[in-house]
Amino acid sequence: MSSDIVFDQAVEIPDILKSGDVVTTLVGERTRLSLRVKAADRIAVAKALGITLPAKIGKTNTKAGIMIACLGPDEWFIVGEKAKYSNLYNKALKLSSKYVMSVTDVSFRNVAVELTGPKVAEIVNVGCPLDLSLAAFPVGKCTRTVYEAAPIILHRLSEDSFAMECWRSYAPYMVGLMTAHVQGQRV
Amino acid sequence: MMLIHCPYCDEKRPEIEFAYAGEAHIVRPNAAEQQAMDDVEWSKFMFIRDNKRGEHCERWWHANGCNMYFNAVRNTVTDKFIKSYKIGQKRPSAAQIQKWKDQANG
Amino acid sequence: MGDFRKTGKGVIDTQQPVSFTFDGKSYSGFKGDTLASALLANGVHLMGRSFKYHRPRGPVGAGFEEPNALVTVTRGKGRMTPNLRATAIEIYEGMMASSQNRWPGLGFDIGAFNNTFSAFFPAGFYNKTFMWPKSFWDKVYEPFIRNMAGLGPAPTEVDPDVYGAVYGHCDILIIGSGPAGLAAALAAAKKDQRVILVDENVNMGGSLIGAGHVSIDEKSASDWVAKALKDLNKADNVVLMTRTSAIGYYHDNFVALAERLTDYIPEAQIGKTREKLHRIRAGKVILAQGAIERPLVFNGNDKPGVMLTSAAQTFLNKYGVAVGKEVAVFTAHDSAYSAAFELADSNVRIAAIIDAREGVSAELISAAEGRGIDVHIGSVISKTGGKKRVRSVEVYEPVHNTQKTIACDALLMSGGWTPSLHLWSQSKGSIKWDEAKGVYLPDLANENCVCIGSCNGDFGIKAALDAGSKAGGGRKVYKTDEPVFGSGQVFDHLPNYIKPSKTKAFVDFQNDVTDKDIKLAVREGFKSIEHVKRYTTNGMATDQGKLSNLNALEIAAKALGKQAPQVGLTTFRPPYTPTTFGTFCGYRTDDLFEVTRKTAIDPWAEAQGAVFEPVGIWRRAWYFPKAGEDMHAAVARECKATRDSLGIFDASTLGKIEVVGPDAAKFMNIMYTNPWSKLGVGACRYGLMLGENGYIYDDGVVGRIAEDRFHVTTTTGGAPRVYRHMEDYLQTEFPELDVWLTSTTEQWSVIALNGPNARKLIEPFVEGIDLSPEAFPHMNVREGKICGVPTRLFRVSFSGELGFEINVPSHYGRAVWETLFAAGEQFDITPYGTETMHVLRAEKGFIIIGQDTDGTVTPQDAGMSWIVSKKKKDFVGKRSLQRSDLVAEGRKQLIGLLTDDPKTVLEEGAHIVADPDQSIPMDMLGHVTSSYWSESLGKSIAMALVKDGFNRMGDDLYIPMEGGVTHKAKVVKPVFYDPKGERLNVV
Repeated sequence: MSSDIVFDQAVEIPDILKSGDVVTTLVGERTRLSLRVKAADRIAVAKALGITLPAKIGKTNTKAGIMIACLGPDEWFIVGEKAKYSNLYNKALKLSSKYVMSVTDVSFRNVAVELTGPKVAEIVNVGCPLDLSLAAFPVGKCTRTVYEAAPIILHRLSEDSFAMECWRSYAPYMVGLMTAHVQGQRV
Repeated sequence: MMLIHCPYCDEKRPEIEFAYAGEAHIVRPNAAEQQAMDDVEWSKFMFIRDNKRGEHCERWWHANGCNMYFNAVRNTVTDKFIKSYKIGQKRPSAAQIQKWKDQANG
Repeated sequence: MGDFRKTGKGVIDTQQPVSFTFDGKSYSGFKGDTLASALLANGVHLMGRSFKYHRPRGPVGAGFEEPNALVTVTRGKGRMTPNLRATAIEIYEGMMASSQNRWPGLGFDIGAFNNTFSAFFPAGFYNKTFMWPKSFWDKVYEPFIRNMAGLGPAPTEVDPDVYGAVYGHCDILIIGSGPAGLAAALAAAKKDQRVILVDENVNMGGSLIGAGHVSIDEKSASDWVAKALKDLNKADNVVLMTRTSAIGYYHDNFVALAERLTDYIPEAQIGKTREKLHRIRAGKVILAQGAIERPLVFNGNDKPGVMLTSAAQTFLNKYGVAVGKEVAVFTAHDSAYSAAFELADSNVRIAAIIDAREGVSAELISAAEGRGIDVHIGSVISKTGGKKRVRSVEVYEPVHNTQKTIACDALLMSGGWTPSLHLWSQSKGSIKWDEAKGVYLPDLANENCVCIGSCNGDFGIKAALDAGSKAGGGRKVYKTDEPVFGSGQVFDHLPNYIKPSKTKAFVDFQNDVTDKDIKLAVREGFKSIEHVKRYTTNGMATDQGKLSNLNALEIAAKALGKQAPQVGLTTFRPPYTPTTFGTFCGYRTDDLFEVTRKTAIDPWAEAQGAVFEPVGIWRRAWYFPKAGEDMHAAVARECKATRDSLGIFDASTLGKIEVVGPDAAKFMNIMYTNPWSKLGVGACRYGLMLGENGYIYDDGVVGRIAEDRFHVTTTTGGAPRVYRHMEDYLQTEFPELDVWLTSTTEQWSVIALNGPNARKLIEPFVEGIDLSPEAFPHMNVREGKICGVPTRLFRVSFSGELGFEINVPSHYGRAVWETLFAAGEQFDITPYGTETMHVLRAEKGFIIIGQDTDGTVTPQDAGMSWIVSKKKKDFVGKRSLQRSDLVAEGRKQLIGLLTDDPKTVLEEGAHIVADPDQSIPMDMLGHVTSSYWSESLGKSIAMALVKDGFNRMGDDLYIPMEGGVTHKAKVVKPVFYDPKGERLNVV
């Protein structure tokens, strides 16, 4: 089989979210890693992997095809384009014998959407209780939080654009809540 | 919904991201200590809590944030947080708590 | 009847007439009218009946505090809203409103006989009367009370409207847009701050709206408001929200705002958000909610046509409606004079001003006389005439003991002003009694919050404007020309020559609480104001005591012989104003009410017609009925097919935690009862987890993927708490261990294949793994590929058959499942659900956490001593297992039961006794935890927790059921099928 295998992300973006003040898109297949590194080894591990591991919680480093977010004191969440970074997991795995660290592949645990438009903060604030003003949530900030009953990871891509991801089974709820809000405004 | 300062994120975040985790500074005895404890002593560790009215050292888990457990002093009457601090820091003395309160009041 | 509209007054749009019906009769008003103002313009005061006595009532207020004029508005199927205040809802073309709490009609109401017999309905009447006989309560008394007393009928159909909810943030939240709120917003707008200004009304401006006698900075009040709003609308940093009530004030300046979006739109479509809850976090909150006028408590003060002076002023200024043609005014406060003058200046005849005070300023009296108004100083109203509308008042002068009747068609009353402290008090700000003003005022703040304007006792427009500017960070000093606000006197009792038994002076209008009721409560021993409230129901109406609390306090204080501040106020609680359930729910209804987690394979199961059951917040396929099958038949077929050939089961919901790091095995040794250090890479082991209290907490199979990597599985429902439990121990008790936890539940879809043909099915699809029994024995895990996608392939079994659990990336789960299912046709592959899974495991005696255990079962109780390491020095729960109670004889232990009649399937939860002939209550030994029909064995099987169960092997026990049936069952070991485990090794 394999050629006809269906890649299924649990949710589709309804048309109502594809146009208007905020445009929502479903992010395709990505390499996602949860990387944990003891403080002393952070810089060495980053160097060995050829990436930057920001030291402060909430900070991200984004370069061509890869985003690295510091989610906890020793925790980094990495999202990379599949073609370019499919081998990053194995690379990190090899380092495990040398450094005090762990890497876990969570590529298929999450489903991500990107929202862009002038009223993007309002849609995020339908379920997320954080202050999304640029002062409080600047471009590049990334954190775990909630979207009503769904735990999410929220990342500000630009002034008017966010990426939101959640565990796969929460995706219909996350998108459903966004849809309910937009429908109620549009009628 | 309270705002809770997470000492790891160094941010005040909404209560909904956190989970309460009971009284702080109750240290689990190690294997040898456990065996040296009689049932009464063990039951005190297991079940007996201060249930304090007033300033209470307690544990919180930033479950939907940085995923870290931390401690905080909260007044259980006013629901005001006085200070949150990282796991591993010692239980603050009454004088220390007073100092924090004075600092908060400018 | 007649036209009560005053041209040139009000902010309604007289170019836009609006027709509507009230109790089926058509009326006309204008755009901008409330239902109350439109009805008053048509001369209609009678709008409702009171709660207990069914007395005719009209509006007493003009806004959200209204207790009397409650109506039901219907706008189609499922869209009926009861208990709306006529003074707060806007009319729209075609509106259908009706009165409540009356039968058969508002004019003639049978329930009004309660009024005739009101002497028999004092405070606590219901509590005292309907006590006995007890059996009468639900059959006789309750239905009667529910019919007679009550508000509008609850809707019976599903509400089709949509409600929204959002979070919001600002630096300054200003609640109330009267002079204080507007001035605060103007000042705050000039700073670099995010400002939100909210008002529950349609128009901003509060008391300034249509205030003809007021000028601010040389502008008319209307022009000043218009300019202020223009400036605020222009400011990028200011958000103005009208039709929005601040309903609750919570910790750390978290304020709930309820915004009404469609109720005023004639053709509001279903689907458009009707109301929205804004959950606002504010840096600072400025409360500018104003004050509410206090009624006077006198005989006959509740007739339609009797209302607050300020209400009449609002009806005139905002809606251009005169509340009568000949209006009497009864006051104890100077402010009523300016209201009376405004009415007089609009050509409303003021029949008289009756002032309860002895001393009134000469200026006010001469201003009244200049308008030809009679003023009766030191006088009160002893009774009112008229039935469904006030027709006259009797003025009583106690000093000379004289009475005089004056004709009128409306009576205004003013007992002074009560600052609105509701939100302030909800924020836990303290309040203090101001003796001079006779009011409670804000004292110490608990949040970053200030009260300004009349809610802070700063009465008058200039005082409010200046306080507003200061609160908003400005320093502006306003110049105003306004009527003198003056002062008043608080009366705890108004004299009357009529015997108290013949009078009825209302304190809480909606709940029909009179001054006598409150005095009676005190006489009967209720000393706390909270108890007086509950006994009399004073302040428990939909206005939550906005009009009644202060009067009740004065009366109770006098009866108790105390000062008001010693008695204190009742607690203020959210919501500030009645709010629909829809607003509280927001989007969280139906599918969005709670998350329903579904696996990648769930849509396939749904397409196959599976029946689902909830497990935690997951939904799982329960069984897959074929045409004509019931659950029993489907499960029997699924079990047989699995044991005979091959079953396929979606196990994706199993919790998965990846435990990784150099100290991974050490950590596993702490968290589980059994040892992990020597488990080889590629091997699996069943793990049992205890709480620190020694009771079984969770279980699951764990595979060692690498020296430093364990693939842990947990129960479906237990996954979140197991993860939390592990993180807790790791972070707070064993932070020195270099190991990390990652939830991977949803990384993997898990396809469980069970049955003798399991290996044969997967063989052609697997790459990179030697599936031979020698290379891949039971309880092992291998990494490779299946159907071209990566897999962690476990050889494990929860059924006792040859079994594999195929972990594949979730997003490919369904594709792999479908491929295997198609290929499985040759083996008559049968999908099964959780019920069959439960039967198969019960046949093997495997426990289900939470079903066969209940949080008080130790490993020993469950017959699992074998899994508790004796060598390990420490693991979570070890010390507790040595507690005397946990090692005591006679604990409940998990055993198997075989019924005497093999066809009898015991009921799960049924109690078990040793002697069925003993007298009731019987000595119960335990209960049935799991019970099924076993198709494979041709008999029923059960597991049970039974006191001293291990010592009862071979004994007969009894399970007495409802209806006198008693089942007999024999105690056996809880392994019913293939006790030697030979079927695992089918080649």
